[in-house]
Amino acid sequence: MAEEGPTALERFINGILPENPVYRQLLGMCPVLAVTNGVKPALTMAGATAFVLICANVVTSLIRGLLKPHLRILVFTLTIATFVTIADKFLAAYVYDMSKQLGPYVPLIIVNCIIIARCEVCASKQGVWTAFADGVGMSIGFALALLSIATVREILGSGTWFKLHVLPASWPGWGIMVLPPGAFLTLGILLGTAEWFGMRRRRAGKGQ
Amino acid sequence: MDTTITLIMLFISAALINNYVLHYFVGICSFLGVSRRVDMAFGMGCAVTFVMAIAAFLDWTLTYYILRPGAPLPAFVWRSLSGNPQASVDLSVLSYIVYIFVIAAAVQFVEMYIRKFFPALYRAFGVYLPLITTNCAILFACLEIMKHLQDSTALWSLPEALTLAVAGGLGYCLAICLMAGIREELDLCDVPKPLKGPGISLIIAGIMAMAFMGFTGVEKGLTTAITILLPK
Amino acid sequence: MSETNTKSGSYIGQAWLVILLSLAFGAALAGVQTSLSGRIAQNKQAETYSVIPQLAPGADESKTAEFILTGKDGKEARVYQALASDGSPKGWVVPASGQGFGDVIELLIGLSPDLSTITGLYVLNQKETPGLGDYVTGQDFRDRFKGRPTDKPIVIVKSEPQADNEVRAITGATISSESVSGIVNTALANLQEPIAQRSGPGAANLPAPGPATE
Repeated sequence: MAEEGPTALERFINGILPENPVYRQLLGMCPVLAVTNGVKPALTMAGATAFVLICANVVTSLIRGLLKPHLRILVFTLTIATFVTIADKFLAAYVYDMSKQLGPYVPLIIVNCIIIARCEVCASKQGVWTAFADGVGMSIGFALALLSIATVREILGSGTWFKLHVLPASWPGWGIMVLPPGAFLTLGILLGTAEWFGMRRRRAGKGQ
Repeated sequence: MDTTITLIMLFISAALINNYVLHYFVGICSFLGVSRRVDMAFGMGCAVTFVMAIAAFLDWTLTYYILRPGAPLPAFVWRSLSGNPQASVDLSVLSYIVYIFVIAAAVQFVEMYIRKFFPALYRAFGVYLPLITTNCAILFACLEIMKHLQDSTALWSLPEALTLAVAGGLGYCLAICLMAGIREELDLCDVPKPLKGPGISLIIAGIMAMAFMGFTGVEKGLTTAITILLPK
Repeated sequence: MSETNTKSGSYIGQAWLVILLSLAFGAALAGVQTSLSGRIAQNKQAETYSVIPQLAPGADESKTAEFILTGKDGKEARVYQALASDGSPKGWVVPASGQGFGDVIELLIGLSPDLSTITGLYVLNQKETPGLGDYVTGQDFRDRFKGRPTDKPIVIVKSEPQADNEVRAITGATISSESVSGIVNTALANLQEPIAQRSGPGAANLPAPGPATE
């Protein structure tokens, strides 16, 4: 157990809520704020990040025996940049309007701290299956974070969810929500909420 | 005169109106994790601006001559090799890889420079200096420059690219210094426990973003004013 | 760790992995580029071309001719001539952009074949205020430009238009409306003569462009 670390299943479950990359580890905030003004761009970004994270994890895990300490960041960066380019080209080819809306934030996945952190912490040290499970778990966690913020912003901001009207037409539409300040405020309040739940659980655990 | 006005407006736009941190959401990780001391934040902002300038210069040169669609160098090489004067080659698929390595090299260079000439600052920075490589703001500036080198009828020149990079860096520096100053005061306030740390920082950033939104629309009036005021 | 004495040797030894990976990734990227670049270029072109039949009624978008002209300001500009399936000219489409209230607004201006009237407007990109300025993309505002003559600059008014070169502003978004009219006026002043010269009788058309190779 000492050199293997958490199992694949543990990695998978950890990524979703207990070690959620956005709410717990506070990584990868740039896309979380930028693309969440609608649910559709948020899910597209989640998909692209999932693709890059899983592929980068798997490839890094396959070559983990050959990585020398000096060059490992270089190798991670090269791998991640390649997969991001591939993801970007696929988006531009098949969902061009989303690609245009996401704009420069897809290439910014290259410097998304989540992916480098997972390569460093998990994929470079554990087997392919564990790395894959870790990638999937973290992707789901990231998608949940994006979805939660996008839902709040889109419903309050334009009364729609995934472009379908969910609030009556009389809803004025809080424009601030789809603009930059709304992103910061939403994420701040949701982080506070997540922390509050965490504190309650810790207090309940201590009380027993 | 036209170019000067364009450059001035580009500078103000990138630094204030479309502030990189508060409008484009890049550089957030370092923005939130920034030291609570204004002098550290200022040093970090200057380092990022310096790296941005170097990276922008290298990236503009590489993109203009090699990586954009219709770039002269690859076309020349390909045509000499294949003998077909109409052949064209598009190396833009390598753009992102080249950019991130240029940024890593620029950070390495700046690190060596600071280590040699400002050893105390180097020690104070610690691990945050190499982390500038993963700062979204620098890659974002490079991507903006790439965006304006795509259409062959409206290519950006080197001065424009450098103005964007330096302005973006200074805007980032302004934002993190403001944030560091506010957080210095925040230690004395009674923040609700769940919001302590990143929660309250983000809410404050939201209010700052609202304040910076007041700059919207300034560009039009300012362009007119500068056009009138600057001597022909 | 005692790597300092074998530094040069170990660097070369370690470099083989990076070189191998670079070659493998390079091949993957080349493959993706070759298979997808056609689609991407098509998507980019379709963005503009699909709007051309709206701005020049009767045009066949696949027959569009593309020209690069030098405007009066000395800069190069791209214009499109809309042609019907039989090659007869149906109008001109001029891309134009300029500073709006929020950020740059990108437009397509439709002109009649004799360049005397505006046939329509289409907004490609804008970052105006949501709920106010972004009504510039709405059919209602854009239709106000239809049929306007091109010999005088368009003027934005807040009440009902009196002259044929006046257009009513969007309520509460005067600056965005004025930005759009400013962009239209500048583009027309800049390019009307060069286009007229280009479309004179007997002027040869460039062949319709294929996937963007520029």
